[in-house]
Amino acid sequence: MSGRPLAIDARQLVRTFAVEGRQIRALDGVDLQVQRGEFVAVVGRSGAGKSTLLNLIGALDRGYTGHLQVLGQSLRELPDRALSQFRNQQIGFVFQAFNLLPGLSVGDNVMLPASFGAKLSPAEVQRRAENLLQELGLGDRFRQLPSQMSGGERQRVAIARALLLEPPLLVCDEPTGSLDGQTTKQILGILNDSRERHGTALVIVTHDPAVAATADRTVVLDRGRILREETGAPVVTATAGGAA
Amino acid sequence: MRLRRLLGLIGHNLRASWVRTALAMVGIVVGTGLLTFFVGLGQGLREKVLEKIFPVNQLEIEARTVQLFGVEQVVGQEPLDDARVAQVAKLPGVVAAFGKQKSAFPARLWGGKELLGYNLFTEAFFDGIPAATVRSELETFEDVASKKRHSARAKPARCEVDLDCRSGQGCRDGACEPIIWADRFVEMPDIALPCSQVSLCPNGLTCVDGFCQGAEALPRCLLPNPPGNGRDLQFDGEVGVLAKPCPSGLCPVEGTTCPSGTYCASDDPDSRSGHCEVPLPAVINPLLLEVFNSDMARSLGAAPIGSLAVLFGVRIHVILGDSYFSKDAARSRQQIKQAQIIGFSRKAPELGVALPLSVVRHFNAHFKDAQTAQVYDAILLDTASNEAVPTVIVAAERLGLQLSRKSRAARTFGTVVMVTSLALILLAALVLAVAAIQIAQTFAMLVHERRREIAVLRAIGAARADVAVLVLGEAAAIGVLGGLCGSGLAFAAAELVDRLAARFLVDVPLVPHGFFSFPVWALPVAVLVAVACTVLGALGPARRAMGLDPAAVLAQS
Repeated sequence: MSGRPLAIDARQLVRTFAVEGRQIRALDGVDLQVQRGEFVAVVGRSGAGKSTLLNLIGALDRGYTGHLQVLGQSLRELPDRALSQFRNQQIGFVFQAFNLLPGLSVGDNVMLPASFGAKLSPAEVQRRAENLLQELGLGDRFRQLPSQMSGGERQRVAIARALLLEPPLLVCDEPTGSLDGQTTKQILGILNDSRERHGTALVIVTHDPAVAATADRTVVLDRGRILREETGAPVVTATAGGAA
Repeated sequence: MRLRRLLGLIGHNLRASWVRTALAMVGIVVGTGLLTFFVGLGQGLREKVLEKIFPVNQLEIEARTVQLFGVEQVVGQEPLDDARVAQVAKLPGVVAAFGKQKSAFPARLWGGKELLGYNLFTEAFFDGIPAATVRSELETFEDVASKKRHSARAKPARCEVDLDCRSGQGCRDGACEPIIWADRFVEMPDIALPCSQVSLCPNGLTCVDGFCQGAEALPRCLLPNPPGNGRDLQFDGEVGVLAKPCPSGLCPVEGTTCPSGTYCASDDPDSRSGHCEVPLPAVINPLLLEVFNSDMARSLGAAPIGSLAVLFGVRIHVILGDSYFSKDAARSRQQIKQAQIIGFSRKAPELGVALPLSVVRHFNAHFKDAQTAQVYDAILLDTASNEAVPTVIVAAERLGLQLSRKSRAARTFGTVVMVTSLALILLAALVLAVAAIQIAQTFAMLVHERRREIAVLRAIGAARADVAVLVLGEAAAIGVLGGLCGSGLAFAAAELVDRLAARFLVDVPLVPHGFFSFPVWALPVAVLVAVACTVLGALGPARRAMGLDPAAVLAQS
């Protein structure tokens, strides 16, 4: 993967939160580079800083110090509208809890990102949504509500939503955390397939060794720092607490 | 955010929390309903009651008076004559001014048998008003424009006399044409005006044999009998035979009658000889019909008169110089004439008849003196706009004039209506303010409940402004729905009130046909006010929604 442009370039990344009058360093000097098309798994115990890191590289949080460029863009100075556009068109999010809007149909949920600034015609948006759902085996569920679907199906809908605008970076927070093994495999297959087809950089926060095992690289976080990075292999026993 | 998507999301949110939305909307519905209802009521009272009694931009002013031992005494020496009218006409804001002269002689009238089956007898009061000032009003009440349109479309029937034509038409130049009653209210109708001196005759006429005559004298005629006290006169008995001078005075021309549209008016109550003349053109106030229907008809055992239209052309007998109550004029000076209702005007007295000014003037001079005929009792004036009225009043007061009692009452009523309307609208505004607070609370809860959804939207590309637009858009949608529902309820309530009034207030005089008048802007303004309230109420919650930290919210789950 060497030689490909960087999707994420973080150096000495620090994120501090004030909790009950005390300053807590959720990230404490993280250096992380992720290339386009690379699949990186981030593991670590609860409170290690995984979600904080994900929020920073996902452009949801800008309260950091240090250097951070996502897809070549420094996010700190962007105005809200531009940052929102950046998130909309450059980053796809997949959450553990799916976070679908319950009152919208599957199709509307998938097409939702196109509501915010995407320059696609309604017909094109619909075509893309239908194709994605078809590819994910949900072609006949376009008009159904999420509440009528299983967890695995909902996560596939969430993935379709994240992929609608073909973002170069996909950020996933425990995407298989509430799914069984078979469905987990299926979801990972879908994410990998998208990565291979579109060169999407994939950053997944996970507790599941099986998921981490499929990544190109695994980053182990502990107390806001990168404890180590490993390539290809699971890191189940690597952390001090063994929580990952 | 794309509009279609925005509307979709707003619809989704409204559906998702429809119970809370409906409850939040109640205040807005009530507030806008009250607002629309009171606006319609205020406007209706102004238009249908106040304007009906006295048009707002029309004033009646008179010489200033003071109460002295319970009696009103005129202050100031300057009479209300033509010079005074001209002076008032030049006041800023005055479009037109004209004098009104009341009859200064006793008179009584009777008639109505054609309508009621028997004659009504009453003392008569006349106001003389310039014909030109009521022309447009007469045409409006008569709907002359519509008559002319119909006439232009239809092929005129051939005729020789009026009877050859159908109802509402008269024979003119061999063709049936619609009767335009308004045309008959002219300053110098073809009537015989008695005179004793040359100076008494209006301009262009000279006093010949006791009657004013112009270049073309009115045909002379003879009645079968002198009219006496006139009580038994029948209209068809006054057709009269044309007469020509002969050694014994006047001799009948056998086989002739007065020309169509005229009757033989005797020279005095004891004379068979007279002039073929048209009836006096009489204009009555449309309120008279209401007063008759609501107050008089029942006590007289008469059926109410359906509409003004049936009164067109109704003839009455008038004795000028005779009274039920006061001293009569010398019998030789009395005049028995016919009058015919030719139209309606709010400038006519409520209990009396308006005649052309020149006619009243002439008879005032005939029965009183020339001086009386030169002085007006009041000046009617039209202002350029309602807003000009206060300025005109002040300017008139500087001239030693004051509003007539009628105008004062109208202005007081107008002020009461305005203040009451404003108070009620204020009440509606208060309800709307409370509704806005209710909206604020509801949206605060909704935003709290939906913070996760909002965070997800932010994560997939919604800017803070998009979130605000979404919240405010939802509030605006509630405003639009609430405004429409409230206004709809107000319209329905107004209709109900009007129907109930029409059913239960039949006998109350001056009750208008509907108390409400909704201006065209009532609905859009109600909806706009509702939207403004809901959006204002949702501003705080929208700010909170904008300020949500999506990372923190998503981390909580």
